[in-house]
Amino acid sequence: MYENYQFVGKDYPRKEGKARVSGKEKYPSDLSFDHMLYGRILRSPYAHARIKSIDFTEARKMGAVCISYEDAPDQFFNVRLVSIPSATYKDWTIFSDHMRQVGDFYGAVAAETEELAEKAARAVRVEWEVLPSYLTMEDAMAASENLIHEKVYLHDKEVIIRNNIACTREVVEGDIEEGFKQADVIIEETFETPRQYHCQLETKTCVVRPEPEGGITVWPTTQAVHNTRILLGKVFTIPLNKVNVVRVPGGGHFGSGIHTNPVALITTALALKANRTVKISLSREEDMYDHVRYPSKYTLKVGARRDGTLTAGHMKAYIDIGCHHVQALAFLGVMSGFWHSLYRMESMKYEGTAVYTNKVPTCAMQGYGAPQVTFGVESMMDMLAEKLGMDPIALRIQNYVGLGEIFWGQGPTIKSKIFSDGVVELIEKGAERIKYYELKKQEKGSGRYRKGIGFARGFHTSGTGAPMPGEVKDYTTAQVKVNEDGSIDILTALMDQGGGTLDAAAKIVAEEFQVSFDKVGISPADSRSTGYDVCTHATRGVYCGAGAVHEVAKETKKILFDYASRMLDTYPGSLELIYEEDTGETRISVVGNPERTATIAEVADHAMNKDWGTAIFSKSIRKTACPPAYTNYFVEVEVDTHTGHVRILRVVAGSDAGTVINPDLARGQMHGGFYRSAGMVLLENTQHDGSTGELTNKASLLDYKMMGIDEMPDEDNFEVIFASTYEPTGPLGAKGVGEAAFNSAPPAIASAICDAIGVRFTKLPISPEDILEAIGEKKL
Amino acid sequence: MNTFTVNGTAYALDASSREQTLMHFLREELSLTGTKNGCAIGQCGSCTVLVNRKAVRSCTIPLHRIAGKHVLTIEALSQDGDLHLIQQAFIDAGALQCGFCTPGMIMSSYGLLISDPSPTREEIRLALRGNICRCTGYQQIIDAVELAALRVRELGTIL
Repeated sequence: MYENYQFVGKDYPRKEGKARVSGKEKYPSDLSFDHMLYGRILRSPYAHARIKSIDFTEARKMGAVCISYEDAPDQFFNVRLVSIPSATYKDWTIFSDHMRQVGDFYGAVAAETEELAEKAARAVRVEWEVLPSYLTMEDAMAASENLIHEKVYLHDKEVIIRNNIACTREVVEGDIEEGFKQADVIIEETFETPRQYHCQLETKTCVVRPEPEGGITVWPTTQAVHNTRILLGKVFTIPLNKVNVVRVPGGGHFGSGIHTNPVALITTALALKANRTVKISLSREEDMYDHVRYPSKYTLKVGARRDGTLTAGHMKAYIDIGCHHVQALAFLGVMSGFWHSLYRMESMKYEGTAVYTNKVPTCAMQGYGAPQVTFGVESMMDMLAEKLGMDPIALRIQNYVGLGEIFWGQGPTIKSKIFSDGVVELIEKGAERIKYYELKKQEKGSGRYRKGIGFARGFHTSGTGAPMPGEVKDYTTAQVKVNEDGSIDILTALMDQGGGTLDAAAKIVAEEFQVSFDKVGISPADSRSTGYDVCTHATRGVYCGAGAVHEVAKETKKILFDYASRMLDTYPGSLELIYEEDTGETRISVVGNPERTATIAEVADHAMNKDWGTAIFSKSIRKTACPPAYTNYFVEVEVDTHTGHVRILRVVAGSDAGTVINPDLARGQMHGGFYRSAGMVLLENTQHDGSTGELTNKASLLDYKMMGIDEMPDEDNFEVIFASTYEPTGPLGAKGVGEAAFNSAPPAIASAICDAIGVRFTKLPISPEDILEAIGEKKL
Repeated sequence: MNTFTVNGTAYALDASSREQTLMHFLREELSLTGTKNGCAIGQCGSCTVLVNRKAVRSCTIPLHRIAGKHVLTIEALSQDGDLHLIQQAFIDAGALQCGFCTPGMIMSSYGLLISDPSPTREEIRLALRGNICRCTGYQQIIDAVELAALRVRELGTIL
């Protein structure tokens, strides 16, 4: 479809490339300013405790600026502002005297040097009242006193918490009792997914500078400059035009920067109190106590007829959310949505319960609910196929939600229609490339090493847009300007987390104006100079974000064509853009009259000198759909039956991203998504000690292992296939890649292990010990 | 022996700075923030620099251990705005996403190619085992080092 494009679908050196390879890119942790203070956060050593008294005498003697729950604003808020207020539970204050996890914070100090701040922090004396802690959901739900939260707010309405249940959500379609009666086969299984740590390489950091005219400038690690601005303005009662949040590249996020990290609030509190610039950069240990992926535990029951149609599904989920709400209500909603929209079911019921525990607060991580659900649903499709005697791939093709159907991946309030669907194409090509059916038939033998082949599919929504406004905000504001030399600037708060979102925006604008990629620039952005952008999450970067830039570019082009028509004495509708490859110039010419022509530079310069104006336009754009970015994985593994070690031999990844704007970068997304998902399947989890509540890995990278460079399949053994689809609602036919790259990989790996040794694991991660135990039981 | 150099400039070791880590000195005293701080315990490789042309983790080395030695950081690789061929190879192979691990990856690759300009992919993986990248899944990084090695061999020097 995109053979006709001049720039889109081609690889160019990425815009931030030079800065990043030369070490010149400044991340928040690299920033420093004159007369800057360094902050340290005061943290609880107990999983659950109250502070009886706090004594800053010694710290103050050292000259430290001290702040605690006694003198910081105490209003309730939620750190995540993606959902609308009526769907947002608020249980956070900046500081509290009620400590709800090891590492919870009750205050902070700032001093001239990091060493002095550290010394002052150690000198703070606290008298504790230790409370019983709840480190499992079962213990938490059995409790009726000493609750983790007693009172929270849903928007402005007070909510009394009972049995540590943070919130619940039920979604019903049709009648499942009737549906299960219609079923010839019913299967039920419980699935569990781990508390995976984001391990973004840059720990959470913030620098805040109070300004002489009032207000603050903020340099945070965030995916959402505008939501950070709004939250800081509200909590500290600063007019929003005096809170300027600067877009700074972050050293990875993976979802951990969708919400405003507490470090931004704490740094602001210190900076305002000191009236000095303050910087806090978390240690790795602090960062591990700061955020983690939502785990899940759910029972899934599915009914099907002999012919493979699904008559009913029932999912009952319990989510251990840790000690705070980072919009768990939204998480419960998307769990239901991703499940509902994988396969057609005649009836379904979802019951989700979010439970507070004295653990690290859980938040989004790549996939947000989809990996959790897709693991169970895809495993169950394999089990169902086996029971029905059907080919597991054929069963999926028969039932998947595809072209022309309504789906609501991002929860029941975000329903839209599917206009592009490369599912079957990707499955057929992938199966052929890896020789799926041949490998499936292969004898596993009785040797030490057993090979297995697995398949799974899934999707992510490209953003959270829909025809109707839902519980989730989704729009991007952008400005596109043509300079007097024919170069073009894009100004938007849209964030590029490294996947190439802003390169995609630049390429799309290059295509629209037929100017070379190097002539399109991305302006530095902050919240004061840009309109609202919800944030880069939900795989919305290219489809919604760059899509908004595209719509704005079209309007800017209209203005440019208006100037050109006046200059060339013709009508705007008679003009066309012609890119001259040899000169690198772009001409605006009258169709059929090539002598009536001027370059974009000449038109822009002429319009300026004639005082007509600049070709510039700015607008907020909401997408009214969120097309499914489908993915699937074929994975071949080898299991060592002596050690329980699993080696990934070969991967064929399929991505239906519509028009692929940045092929190299999109492939990189698939590689990276698979790498993190393989970590979740084979290695990654964080656990809390059952008595102290401390992380058992001591919050150290020594004991948080991820897949290494030597554990990933290399070169010809990892192939990425793109579907040849065109998304009619997307910018030049594009939709997303991002999270979809993760979602379908875990069940594919688990399915390959099952094929190799005949054991279906329902709990992740699958450790070598788990495998050896299962092999022992089966006497393989 | 009480001096060392960073990117060609000499610095004196004094009693107060002997125990401070090389990473801290580079980042805080010299503002050479291309050397990144990812974990501070020698586990992620983001702070990799060359000491006497060998790749080391600067976060675990106290300054007194580099007395008399020569330190090279990512900032010294590009001359007058021209990228070093390893840096260019990382761009050309699409080997960076968020970019935070990139300087450390490049310095480890530099250390490898100084000692062996013809590494196999397996040897590249071995040399980069101490560098964590959370974004890419590593394949394009291996491609970049392979590409850089090819260019080193074509040029006959690593510069």
